[in-house]
Amino acid sequence: MAISLSKGGNVNLSKEVPGLNKVVVGLGWDARATDGAAFDLDASGFLVKLDGKVRSDSDFCFYNNKIVADGAVQHAGDNLTGAGDGDDECLKVELSKIPADLDKVVFAVTIHDAAERKQNFGQVNRAYIRIINEEGGQEIARYDLSEDASIETAMIFGEIYRVGTDWKFKAVGQGFAGGLGPLASSFGVSV
Amino acid sequence: MEIRRGQRVSITELCQCANTQVLHVVLSISGIQDTVDFACFGLNNQQKLSDDRYMTFYNQPNSPCGAVKLIASALGSSTFLCDVAVLPQTIDRLVFTAALNSTETMHDIHNGYVCFLSANQEVARFSFSGSDFHDEKALMLGELYRKDNTWRFNAIGQGFTGGLAALVMHFGGDVIDALPPPVSRISLEKKVAALAPKLVDLAKKATISLEKHRLSATLAQVGLVLDASGSMYAQYDKGKVQQVIERLLPLAVHFDNDGALDVWAFSNKVLALPPATLRNYADYIASAEYGWRQWGMMGINNEPAVIEQVVKHYQNTTLPILIIFISDGGVSQNTVIKKLLVEAAKLPIFWQFVGIGGRNYGILEKLDTLPGRVVDNCGFFALDDINSISEQDLYERLLSEFPLWLEAAKLKGIIQ
Repeated sequence: MAISLSKGGNVNLSKEVPGLNKVVVGLGWDARATDGAAFDLDASGFLVKLDGKVRSDSDFCFYNNKIVADGAVQHAGDNLTGAGDGDDECLKVELSKIPADLDKVVFAVTIHDAAERKQNFGQVNRAYIRIINEEGGQEIARYDLSEDASIETAMIFGEIYRVGTDWKFKAVGQGFAGGLGPLASSFGVSV
Repeated sequence: MEIRRGQRVSITELCQCANTQVLHVVLSISGIQDTVDFACFGLNNQQKLSDDRYMTFYNQPNSPCGAVKLIASALGSSTFLCDVAVLPQTIDRLVFTAALNSTETMHDIHNGYVCFLSANQEVARFSFSGSDFHDEKALMLGELYRKDNTWRFNAIGQGFTGGLAALVMHFGGDVIDALPPPVSRISLEKKVAALAPKLVDLAKKATISLEKHRLSATLAQVGLVLDASGSMYAQYDKGKVQQVIERLLPLAVHFDNDGALDVWAFSNKVLALPPATLRNYADYIASAEYGWRQWGMMGINNEPAVIEQVVKHYQNTTLPILIIFISDGGVSQNTVIKKLLVEAAKLPIFWQFVGIGGRNYGILEKLDTLPGRVVDNCGFFALDDINSISEQDLYERLLSEFPLWLEAAKLKGIIQ
């Protein structure tokens, strides 16, 4: 039984699944049911140091940079509409491959062309992030954002972070003004 | 509090107080020429309309539990009173919608808003405009929804190009029955309700006849010719002519874009009266041109003069015209009337003669078989008293021959 997190809540993944190594971070949302431009949500991951910044731009994992840190984080492809069951976008994380000088993987979702399409997360239904054990496909934790997402166009959904030898996952649900560019900048990525 | 599209807020935040559950929700859209139909859909936890009675709109102004009430309607605006505490557990969501019937789209909106009043004070407003939309014809403006035993509001501002039908599909797909009655009916009743609530019942009856005769979508101008010769004195004096105005006005409002009934009174001469409208109908006979007693009528009847004047009045009109011609008989100028109506057969005018309380209708009774016309442009029926038949019957009779003429006139190219 997956743990359902609220905003700010966290779970110790290593305690939930001892020996956990490969995780899939699934992001999903409902395709637009009304008429108008589709909701195209893009997932991205930032591998950051203790100070919350990337080592270099190559630690920013997104649809144009799919394999990061020798495969510690991989982007599995871009869904343009949210159509279909299950996760719409996912990133794979191999915990044992995360370099020792990095402490955290932050998962963010931005709305593509949000300003032009006049869209924000409050218009998107049933957005969520979930953490799955790649071996066996078991869902470990889940965070539904619908009530925490509103007029933002970029959101930090959650983060996997190192605590001693354990890995924890935290449901962040924090909005960020301005979209993917400014978001990436805030993690030290030069865009 | 300003609410932006997509924003979600709890109603305690919205009302800025802890206990308020009763909200006035005002929906308003300006810039649209035609009627905007507002509604509130009560949905279940699957976001479906499982109970048609929870579609609150003009024809169904109260939800069964009384939690949702349509308390005011005007052109381009509706106000709902929502007491969410009274809603049954099966209703999880109240979605406020707007729909258009004409060729206009939501892009034509000048200004629109969903505004919340608590204790008569505006507490929050979600504003939108046409630039937020493209060719949507129905919108979900916003929704109040249950979340963890509290109620929240989401400013949706999204919709469907497929209009109300697509919206209803979205709320349940197969619920065809939930589709509101045809457009014209809502429009007519709404127009009437906004300005002349006393006529709502008549408007409903007129609507039934209009639909039955497939006239819902017909545009026309409606004119009324009133016999005001001396023999009509009692009819005016007893208020029966005033009742004619009231009974006919819903037809004019339906057919006519300006919602006005053109009126002429005649005896030996003709008097063009100001149009009767939803605003002035209530004491029309007693007040138009200082009231019927001041019209200088009540002499002999001169039908040809008024027929000529009506023809002249509509000479540049391209819409079909329905003239309802009230007479109490004593018709004597048969040859002239005949000649005028034969000539008028090539014009886009249909003459519905109604005899009331009289006798000796002369040529009027034989108009249906009048030879020498391109199309049959006249109808006649007589009543002992205009109040002796039900309103429904009256509309049936008034509208029975007009559609036949419309078809024939179209075939002959008299109307488009």
